[in-house]
Amino acid sequence: MSERQPEALLLDGVSKAYGKTWVVDRVSLTIPGGSFFSLLGPSGSGKTTLLMMIAGFVTPDGGSVRLGGRDLTPVPAEKRNFGMVFQGYALFPNMTVGENVAFSLRVRGLGRAERDARARAALDTVHLGGFEDRFPKQLSGGQQQRVALARALVFEPAVLLLDEPLSALDKKLREGLQAELREVQRRIGKTFVCVTHDQDEALSMSDRIAIVRGGRIAQEGEPDDLFENPASHFVADFLGESNFLAGDLTPAAEPGLLRWHAGATGLVQAGQPSQAGPALMALRPSKIAIASGEPCGMPNRLPGIVTGSSYRGTAIHCRVDTPAGPMSVSLPSWRAPFNPEPDQRVWLSWAPDAAVIVTDDRA
Amino acid sequence: MVVAPKRRVLPVLAWVVLLFLLLPCILVVPVSLTDTDYLAMPEQGLSLRWWHTLFASPEWMVALGQSLGIGLAATAIAVSAGTLCAIGCWRARNRWSALVRALILVPMIVPTVVYALGLFRVYAKVGLLDSFTGVILAHAALALPYPVLTVGAALTNFDPRLEQAARNLGASGWQVLRLVTLPNLKAGILSGAIFAFVVSWDELVVVLFIAGRRVHTLPRQIWSGIRENLDPTIAAVATLLIAVTLLALIPVLRGSRTAPKEA
Repeated sequence: MSERQPEALLLDGVSKAYGKTWVVDRVSLTIPGGSFFSLLGPSGSGKTTLLMMIAGFVTPDGGSVRLGGRDLTPVPAEKRNFGMVFQGYALFPNMTVGENVAFSLRVRGLGRAERDARARAALDTVHLGGFEDRFPKQLSGGQQQRVALARALVFEPAVLLLDEPLSALDKKLREGLQAELREVQRRIGKTFVCVTHDQDEALSMSDRIAIVRGGRIAQEGEPDDLFENPASHFVADFLGESNFLAGDLTPAAEPGLLRWHAGATGLVQAGQPSQAGPALMALRPSKIAIASGEPCGMPNRLPGIVTGSSYRGTAIHCRVDTPAGPMSVSLPSWRAPFNPEPDQRVWLSWAPDAAVIVTDDRA
Repeated sequence: MVVAPKRRVLPVLAWVVLLFLLLPCILVVPVSLTDTDYLAMPEQGLSLRWWHTLFASPEWMVALGQSLGIGLAATAIAVSAGTLCAIGCWRARNRWSALVRALILVPMIVPTVVYALGLFRVYAKVGLLDSFTGVILAHAALALPYPVLTVGAALTNFDPRLEQAARNLGASGWQVLRLVTLPNLKAGILSGAIFAFVVSWDELVVVLFIAGRRVHTLPRQIWSGIRENLDPTIAAVATLLIAVTLLALIPVLRGSRTAPKEA
């Protein structure tokens, strides 16, 4: 493994059209060297095409892909030295696990002894030592995923690309392998670029996330920053769950705060588009307090009527009709201070910094 | 008891059809062991006389050798070209590849007599009449549709990501083909090869048109044997033809039973 800091991967105005549709539309991204970077988006957002352009399987119609100072756009896939874990793993069914892992070394002309030793070492790092002579078909989904990872890392690629690496596995196994992937990435310090539609996966594994929508980057940043400060309706809605209040903002006496009017009124922290006028606010269901009496001293409070609730293990979700519209509230279920009943009159309240002003990009 | 007669009719019908298909083939086996001097069933007992005549006759042995050689050469050409054609069409996946696939099937669709007549005119111009090269090429063209179809069928179960994975791991185009694509299409290539061989092995019409003194394949030898001296050696040859064909088909029959599970 090289000691020097891995180089950053740059996408510069990359575009791709299929027919007359731009699947990827002038995307520019800097993926820091040695980071775990996720491209997160719904299906059909163009995230996989982006990854395929980084891998070299799809030629961009415009823009360039660069690693450090080197332009990779004209370099074919087999010369890029990027590892890749494919969706469904794409293990070679005609080869044993050992031969699969050693494939990249074989086509590079390495001798059998060195090939075997390195394949065995790579399998050991994914806890699959001793599986060399089995065929992929004889392994479970999680084991196949690990073989794919070992195969993609054994030739010490500059960058590792992962295309929905865990989507074929069940939930429990997926969580274990998320932690394992993250651990491997930290240990070897390489750049990992992961495409996923699963927000939990992206949030738990990534150093940075780019949210892809309609062939463009909707927002890019660290997971907690994206979750706490979504810039748009789409991001607030796609990443976790949000209530939206559409209304007007007016200046408030309190510094750094604005007054909102949307069937009710309250205070919200001034965001990036902090000017007064029509605006949309996003509010996480878990940041709303619910009580049967009117809370004192909270600048944001709404009376409402419970229309329904559902138990979801760690949390209880209730739907509440308020003057500002229907709201979703989530409260921890263990020793819940409050047990919602249908048609019950309640009060909702939240702090001014619980809500975020977002741009309205609803289609 | 109303359904009982119906239930008996179907199996009987199936056996009748099967016998109709098999009987003419099976019939030559006892005839080849006849003790008479003409084409007939054995009368007093079985005899290997006509089998001796067959293996002792230089004409028949030459014909057998020629048929095997032409069959193997035509198979090699048809399978190489057909496999590459199927893979190429599969990779391109566009209008042109659909057209190419349809054109490849032409030798299968056009009546062989028409095809043979056309070949005769062309071969007469380029000087390929009565040459092994000419017969091998003609048989390869006739056999080409089979590997294209069987390899094409195998490709529908082949994940294109396997080729991407191989390239991503640094394999050149040739390495991808040799180490990943072809090994995973083995079953389709093998059955295509067998069908191709069988097409050439019992092909008569084209050979009648384009062969002269030099090329005497087994079917052509039978044809002239029937017209010149009708002795039971013909039955022994026919038995041999059937046996070789059946032997060649064994892997296909076994494959069709296990293939769906493997895919």
